Amino acid sequence: MVRQVGAVLVVVMALGGCATEKTSSEQLARVAKDWSLSIRASQVIPVYPLTEDVQPGDVFLVQTPVEEQVKIYMDKGFLPLENLLTRLPVTGYAELYRGWPRVGDGEAAPPRQWQFPNPDATEPDFSRAPLAAFPTYKFSVSRSSGLSVAIPVQSVPVGLNLLDSASANGTITLKDAYTYAVPARKTYDAILSWSRANIGYLEQFEPAAATQDGKSTTKAFYLRVINRVYLVKTVDVSLFSNRGFGASGSAGVPQPVQLLNIANASDAANQFDAINQILAKASSPVGAGNAAAAGSVGEAPAPVAVGGSVKLAMATSRSVSFVETFHRPLVIGYLASDYAILKGGRLATPVPTLNTLEGHPVPASRAIAYQGCDANCLQIRGWLKAPGTKAKLEDWLQAQGGAISISDLETGDHADLRQRVVKELIEGSN
Amino acid sequence: MALQPPSPQTSVPRDDTGNVVDAMLLDARVKWIAIVFEATAADGVDRFTVTPYVEDPTTGG
Repeated sequence: MVRQVGAVLVVVMALGGCATEKTSSEQLARVAKDWSLSIRASQVIPVYPLTEDVQPGDVFLVQTPVEEQVKIYMDKGFLPLENLLTRLPVTGYAELYRGWPRVGDGEAAPPRQWQFPNPDATEPDFSRAPLAAFPTYKFSVSRSSGLSVAIPVQSVPVGLNLLDSASANGTITLKDAYTYAVPARKTYDAILSWSRANIGYLEQFEPAAATQDGKSTTKAFYLRVINRVYLVKTVDVSLFSNRGFGASGSAGVPQPVQLLNIANASDAANQFDAINQILAKASSPVGAGNAAAAGSVGEAPAPVAVGGSVKLAMATSRSVSFVETFHRPLVIGYLASDYAILKGGRLATPVPTLNTLEGHPVPASRAIAYQGCDANCLQIRGWLKAPGTKAKLEDWLQAQGGAISISDLETGDHADLRQRVVKELIEGSN
Repeated sequence: MALQPPSPQTSVPRDDTGNVVDAMLLDARVKWIAIVFEATAADGVDRFTVTPYVEDPTTGG
């Protein structure tokens, strides 16, 4: 009985985030990356941490250069969502989901009618949302990793404590997954309209000259517009202890809790019930400690606990399985389009974010707006007609940061570079 | 390190489309170029999007 109370105490500590071990940022990053890589393997850009508040039409200002984004994406496995600029009033759901029950534009636009089926509803109803499925995700976790901090589902640290194990292997199955989208063509129209109304704001993010590693380059900014999101309501977590049999038998060391002792079925059932009651209290939206306060008239509702409700589903001396259910489905990933912000705050043509990040071939590279052929452009065109000048210009461009093409140089947004070409190559050779 | 492939250019006026195509074809990797009419601007000038491809856009090869 003492052992059981001890185990329960450890569970509650884990839920409260009171891990006493020193957290290891490397381990935390590793867990975040493992999670994100599994989502990414499904050709979805992971959201980390999980959130309900991302939806198609959300516009983020990305101030990280593409090269740096790729590096972050590869290193961390996910991209932090930077500044949320606006939520576009997108339409097109009715057309895209023609015949789909309860999906339309305006008030019927997803996900509100699934999150809040009617004004008085306390329970969400995603039964009519388009379904999605994800493969099972395998991971390794150790107690020294800081437990409850980085893992998107709280079942993992709880399970690790129940197993009384320093490390474990596990699987996460994403169940009750949903997806919905708005046509990229509609978000394109909406972002263009928004950008025209906010061109003064966007102008401050036009490409700026910068120096990197001694080379002059251009710092570009982007708008990232979400087109599709993926949500998950239920997560099954199974953990298998790495502890060897008999490894914890020394005197004075707490013994593993025998949660499922088939020889005594009633004891096992009681232990399951006791643990699930404590898990329910610790993860309920209104914790036991503030339930009374929440009930007071005129007071703000108590804060909702992070994560969902956790229920122990199965346990042996070396493994535990949990079912974790979020109160409402959370967004775990998205698909989006990137729009480069050009000179004057205009937007370039969209490029799928995933293509940018994973280096997938894009039919054409990022489009630029024709800037006209100025005096330097005309001079370069004339000079290029002479033999040997093309190779000379290519060598010069390669020596510059970015190594842009000749056609981009001539009529793209590169007035400074054209000026330098004229000075250093054309006039310098006379 | 090779230069980046030419970028597609939008809003290219009719009278400079040929020059832009010329400049794109200076890159030997460019094998196809699409010229798509955008609109006639308020000043009466026809504008085009000029898109270079290093792979056959119809077959991907």
